[in-house]
Amino acid sequence: MAIPGTFLYSFFFIVPVCLGVYYSFTDWNGVKRTNNFVGFANYVKALTSKRFLNSIVFNLKYTFFYVILLVILATIIAMLLNNKIKGITTFRAFYFLPAVFSGVTISLIFNQVYFRVIPSFAKTLGITSLEQSLLSSKSTAMWAIMFVNLWCALPMQSILILAGLQTVPEDLLEAARIDGANRVQIFHYVTFPHLIPTLSVVLVLAVKAGLMIFDLIKVLTDGGPNNATRSVSMLIYADAFENKRYAIAMAEAIMIGIVIAAISYIQLRISNKSKTD
Amino acid sequence: MKKKTLSRLLVYLCLILGLLLILLPLYITVCTAFKRTSDSLRNYLSLPTDLYIDNFKYIVTKPDYWQAFGNTVLITAVVCLGDALLMPMLGYAVGRRMEESKGWFRFYFYLLLGIFIPFQVKMVPIVQMMSALRMLNPFGLSVLCIGSTTCEATFLYTGYLKGIPRELENAASIDGASTWTAYKSIIYPLMRPIIATSVIKDGLWTWNDFTLPLITLNRSPKYWTLVLYQYNFQTEAGVDYGLVFACLCLSMIPILVFYLCLQKQIISGLTAGAVKG
Repeated sequence: MAIPGTFLYSFFFIVPVCLGVYYSFTDWNGVKRTNNFVGFANYVKALTSKRFLNSIVFNLKYTFFYVILLVILATIIAMLLNNKIKGITTFRAFYFLPAVFSGVTISLIFNQVYFRVIPSFAKTLGITSLEQSLLSSKSTAMWAIMFVNLWCALPMQSILILAGLQTVPEDLLEAARIDGANRVQIFHYVTFPHLIPTLSVVLVLAVKAGLMIFDLIKVLTDGGPNNATRSVSMLIYADAFENKRYAIAMAEAIMIGIVIAAISYIQLRISNKSKTD
Repeated sequence: MKKKTLSRLLVYLCLILGLLLILLPLYITVCTAFKRTSDSLRNYLSLPTDLYIDNFKYIVTKPDYWQAFGNTVLITAVVCLGDALLMPMLGYAVGRRMEESKGWFRFYFYLLLGIFIPFQVKMVPIVQMMSALRMLNPFGLSVLCIGSTTCEATFLYTGYLKGIPRELENAASIDGASTWTAYKSIIYPLMRPIIATSVIKDGLWTWNDFTLPLITLNRSPKYWTLVLYQYNFQTEAGVDYGLVFACLCLSMIPILVFYLCLQKQIISGLTAGAVKG
């Protein structure tokens, strides 16, 4: 019974990875019939090239701000949605809506919004700095992408944190209230400790998402302007499919892959730990 | 008491502000889709004065659009079928046997290995493999997608099976049922809730996916999925962005209907998948 699933998985998942590792040690360009074994030359080449390092710097910068903004905003939204007030289920339903749409659809909408809608308002209001698309300026492109990314990602993460908030025992909150704790104190001493397992999962997921970002950038800026938003994934894509630097693309992919694998491992440890506690 | 009403008002205010942020892009999309380009140029936020549906007509009468729609339905259907038929078998075989034998336990880890491998690592070799197998078509992509869902499906299914007591099968085998009969008539029906969760999650993922279709199907319009169609439509429509928005609008409708019908299952499915990454 295990055979069909195992076959598909091995053939379309494990074999490509092995092939990739093999090619990263050769000088193959994706077209040639033959290839030579070159050892770690591709890795050295990638690590000493400015393009790869620039992409890594972009990814690190992007991930840093993305994670901070995501975790803070998602916690705030989750706490807002955790209020027992009238109509909260309707709010929850609407707040989850962005999670079901394709990131590409959303990006295409925002592409038009940045490109036409915002400049048209800027013109009527006389704000000259906004008359150009936010995506076409080197200094704002990253933030424009991040806004779209947060718009897509926040619903899901807020719901995860909301689920975490609902595990906080009601009597503990009640006891704190009776003891005269204010809202900040309740959050700090009661809610937050209960949220740590959920928050750590959200945090790790966000780090992974930030390091792997591809779709949104491909649609919104395609790495531009002037390669200012070229993430590592964009670079791998460009190297493999456009520049015919196949083997180097694989070396780059494997290096970033090791980092992501390490992060996934940490994530698994955290979620196992929170289960046994 | 007064303080409480004030804080409640503040919560509502924040929630409504967030709601506006979520709905505004969608509102602009729908409005612009129903307007002539010259009208929306004057004011993007105004409601359309008359129902101008030529934008939609243009897209709906294009055979390419329906081709893309058909491809997407086909791919999603095959993936859902694979997820509902093959993966539970695998999950059952592994889930039951890994409790007794070390070899199967190792095999379980082999199946989960994929969680650690980011997409970028296999992205490049996959294209190479698929092209060598002449599988760079919608059917090939759907097989590839089934392979990619294995890790999460195994994780979900084996986890769920732990909650189904073994006595059920033991009783069946005493009554003379083979493993297959026991699985088919006892275990499979009991697994339905988790299968539904997994199918919804993977179906939505397949429908919305961009990266895999981009690398495998972008060569020819007859292979495009809806997401690829939207992505490429931007160039075709050019400055006529009423058309672009109409196209985006159309692609959002099926998902919106799906969300309205199965809201609860979708939220639980997506959050179940998110924790595993």
